[in-house]
Order: sequence, then C-alpha cells, then structure tokens
Amino acid sequence: MSPVSAVSSPLASLYARIAGTNKAPPVLPDSLKVGAPTAAPTGEGFAKVFDQLVGSVETKQAQANAVTRNVLVDGQGQLHQSVIAMQEASVAFSMMVEVRNKLVESYQELMRMPV
Amino acid sequence: MNLISGIDITASALNAQKTRLDIIAQNIANAQTTRTPSGGPYKRQLISFQTELLRQTGDGQPALSGVQISSITSDPTPGERIYNPQHPDADSQGIVTMPNVNLAYEMVDLITATRAYEANLSVAKNGREMADRTLRIGQ
Repeated sequence: MSPVSAVSSPLASLYARIAGTNKAPPVLPDSLKVGAPTAAPTGEGFAKVFDQLVGSVETKQAQANAVTRNVLVDGQGQLHQSVIAMQEASVAFSMMVEVRNKLVESYQELMRMPV
Repeated sequence: MNLISGIDITASALNAQKTRLDIIAQNIANAQTTRTPSGGPYKRQLISFQTELLRQTGDGQPALSGVQISSITSDPTPGERIYNPQHPDADSQGIVTMPNVNLAYEMVDLITATRAYEANLSVAKNGREMADRTLRIGQ
C-alpha cells in the first residue's frame, strides 16, 4: 500500500487504478501497436473475402445460365425469371469489377507515394 | 446477396400478371367452346391475387409482401342461349348454351394485365438502374 492511499478514499482508488494494483494494466493489442510487425493475416483475410465475392458472382452467373437454359432448351421456367437472373449476374459482375478497380487504384496510389 | 432492390417482389408480380394473361388467353380462346370434359359450355375463369410474405426487413420493420395467385374460379353468370338446332350440342328444343365469355370484358382485362405487367417491368428496370448508378458513385 502506497502512502498516498491514506489521504482520501476516492483519490486512493484513483491512484490505485493508476498504479494498476486493482487489475492488470490494459495491454495494447499487437495489431494496434505502431511499428509492430503486422503479420500477413490481414492480406490473407482480404484475399479470402475477394475470393468469396468472385465465388458468389460465379454462382449468380451459373444460376442465370441454368434458368436461361431452362427457358430456351427445356421450355420450362419463365422468361422474366431468366432476364432478371441475367441482370442480377450483370450487376454482381459490375460490383466485382468496381471492387477490383478500387483495389488497383489504391495500389497505384501507394506506388506513386514519394518516399 | 440482394443487389437489385425489390426484384423478388417484382418477379412475383410479373409471375402473377403472366398467369392472369394466360387465363385471359384461355377465356378468349374458348369463347365459342360448347363442350368441356366436365360437361356443358366453357365457363369464364376469374383469377384473384393475394399477398405473399417474402421477407422480413428487420426487427420492428414492416415485412415485404409479394403477390401470388389465391384462386382461379369460374364465373357463375349463365351463358347466352341461342337457337341453333344444327349444333351438335343443342338440346331437344334446339337451344345451345354458349360460354359466358364476353369478348369486350376480356379485351379490357387484357389491356389491364398488359399495363400491370409493363408497370412491374419498369420497376425492375429502375431497380437495376439504381444499382448501376450506385456502383458509379466513385467515378
């Protein structure tokens, strides 16, 4: 117990808190430390997310393909469902291209940065 | 991933209106049909719609409803009775009961169904354009 703890109880608890006697001092996580070596997981994480995005775009295109094939070849299904599926696939593809453009743009911006 | 807003609702409406168009086509095609498997002349078919819960938008938010076909029923109005003893479906007095299809009504229904279909198509088109324009925010 430090000598200042006898002055007043609120102050004492404050000092105690500052001194870290009540609980362990908060530790900054490694990922937030400036200058700390950041490991690859963030990069891998984004690659995984982008992979999922590409996968879902591919799924949408395959769905559109299947529905259109149903309408044209098998004579089943509705025309509007086929067109809507194609439009959805098209919008999803545009979005994927947009994400990729943004990614390349930020990379180029980084490369242009004077060191 | 739902990129085009409201597209599933519009799709259900397009489906419903298309079925309505099919029913009208059936009514017009059978306007002179005097013999059916169930006996008697063809009965004009009427279609009615009902809402269909498609998805909940979130806690405490209104649910979004599409449309689906609730029933297809026969119009009970008696058909026109004409005197035509040569007709194979004439009764002993030579009277033939024609279907209760009124072509004028069917044409009006046809125009209504076509316009409703077009209205839903423009909803789909605008939904797609909204998504396209949203993707062009950064350009």
